[in-house]
Amino acid sequence: MAWEDIVTSTALPAPPTFLARVRTFVATPRFARILSLVLFFAAWQFVVPLLPTRLIPLPAKVLGFMWDEVLGNTLGRTTVWEAFGISLARLGIGFGLAFVIGVPIGLLMGVSRAVENFFHDFVVVGLAMPSLVWALLTGVWFGLGTGLIAGAPIITVVLAALPFVIINTFEGVRDVPRELSDMASAYNVSRTKVMRHVTIPSLMPFFFASLRYGLANGWKGLVLAEVFAATSGAGWNIKYWYDAHRAQGVIGYALFFILFALFVERIVFQRFSKRVFKWRPEIETVAEPGAGLAQLEAEQLVTIGADGGIAI
Amino acid sequence: MAEIKIERLSKEFGTGEGMVKALQDVSFGVSGYVFTSIVGPSGCGKSTLLNILSGIETPTSGSVTITQNGGQATVGYVFQSSRLLPWRSVIDNLMFVQPEPNDEARDRCMKFLEMVHLKGKEDKYPGELSGGMQQRVGIARAFSIEPDVLFMDEPFSHLDAITARSLRLELHELWKATGKTVLFVTHDVGEAVELSNRILVFAAGGVLEDDMDVDLPFPRDAADDQVALAKAHVLKKFEELNLIAT
Repeated sequence: MAWEDIVTSTALPAPPTFLARVRTFVATPRFARILSLVLFFAAWQFVVPLLPTRLIPLPAKVLGFMWDEVLGNTLGRTTVWEAFGISLARLGIGFGLAFVIGVPIGLLMGVSRAVENFFHDFVVVGLAMPSLVWALLTGVWFGLGTGLIAGAPIITVVLAALPFVIINTFEGVRDVPRELSDMASAYNVSRTKVMRHVTIPSLMPFFFASLRYGLANGWKGLVLAEVFAATSGAGWNIKYWYDAHRAQGVIGYALFFILFALFVERIVFQRFSKRVFKWRPEIETVAEPGAGLAQLEAEQLVTIGADGGIAI
Repeated sequence: MAEIKIERLSKEFGTGEGMVKALQDVSFGVSGYVFTSIVGPSGCGKSTLLNILSGIETPTSGSVTITQNGGQATVGYVFQSSRLLPWRSVIDNLMFVQPEPNDEARDRCMKFLEMVHLKGKEDKYPGELSGGMQQRVGIARAFSIEPDVLFMDEPFSHLDAITARSLRLELHELWKATGKTVLFVTHDVGEAVELSNRILVFAAGGVLEDDMDVDLPFPRDAADDQVALAKAHVLKKFEELNLIAT
């Protein structure tokens, strides 16, 4: 045997056969996820026509509805873009208010035991309160809001987001690393510099968490409040299609909510998180615990189904 | 010339089981270009003493004065862990403690980073550096404010033996080059003998038991007979004072 043969045969293993490659791909998590989606759509397409109902639209009908909405050819009063725009503006205003009110309360709770005791039970109750309750109560208090600045949806966002903002700010203040503030005091660093470069950066992960969970919970309440007490917005639109008895509209909007949640979670938050925490070497594990919005979004759909009387 | 004067210093802590004495009636003085080590077993109040000297803690009684030619002295501190701000780059960590963060301060910071062999790492975040490198940044930070007095609290205790040895050599070179008054806390007698002109021995409960001078030429090698003898001498003192747990 020539030495080239020996080198070739030992240094380069034979390329994997087609079958081996397929076997490797089938074993990946990605394959299982793709397979589940394909099977779901196949079942939807082929099993639904066998059911004794005409109230479940086929995938093509739902996708057609969504495509029309995206292009602006809607039979409703507003397109999906306008509806989400209105809802996002309300979410922004409501969350902004929750942040302005919640951060000072959280900060004070962090530095004073008396303030902590004073607010503690309210915060716990707020965290446990289903946003459906806020949506109903604000609907009773503010009535049907006709403009963009509708009382019920905005105040629902404030009430649903506020406890998350407070609790995260409070935890953040308690978590400011003592050893870093001691270091700064040993070096006679000024208070303003310590506030800017030690306290605020160490609060950032907690502000981030309050943003994530506050927005997610606020959104959940907002959509419900729009169902009950508004005449515009994404929540109102889903109710519009329900009232019009168009299941493809309800399912289409549910899918819009999911796409929106995925966009916020995967694009906005992950980018923002990477920017803010670029100093953290283990960025991936940091981004993980906040499956928040997508998860709450899923709960949201269940809530509509269970409490809002919308059957999909 | 820098001068540290400690008079009848005591510190007590309140715990769940009553008051614990961390320092008892400690008095000593240090002045000029001297490297003083404070050695003793865990819980003998070594770190408490440095915390009081740097103003992080207040004493129960007694007084502390740190002066430079009669005026206020500036103080640098190297901690047991590096205590760097993880969200700021290496150079920004050094700039954070500068009283006047101008170009001159930046040049000075770069000079000390170079002296601890971290040139080129100035824009890295602490999380991107090894433990030894992080501690080097901590040392460069302390020297970069050109302090009159330098406190060091077991700065090498978290590092592996080889890294600790190379950092000790670097520290000695820095001390020689800058001529600071250094107060160095350690539980490692060998480390104290290698680095110091003077060793203060503390016993449990924060009692100053002995004060000895180490008159050996630098650089000192742990393998050198004289250094080994000096170490044995200090350890014997420890035995006499019942400081070694058996």
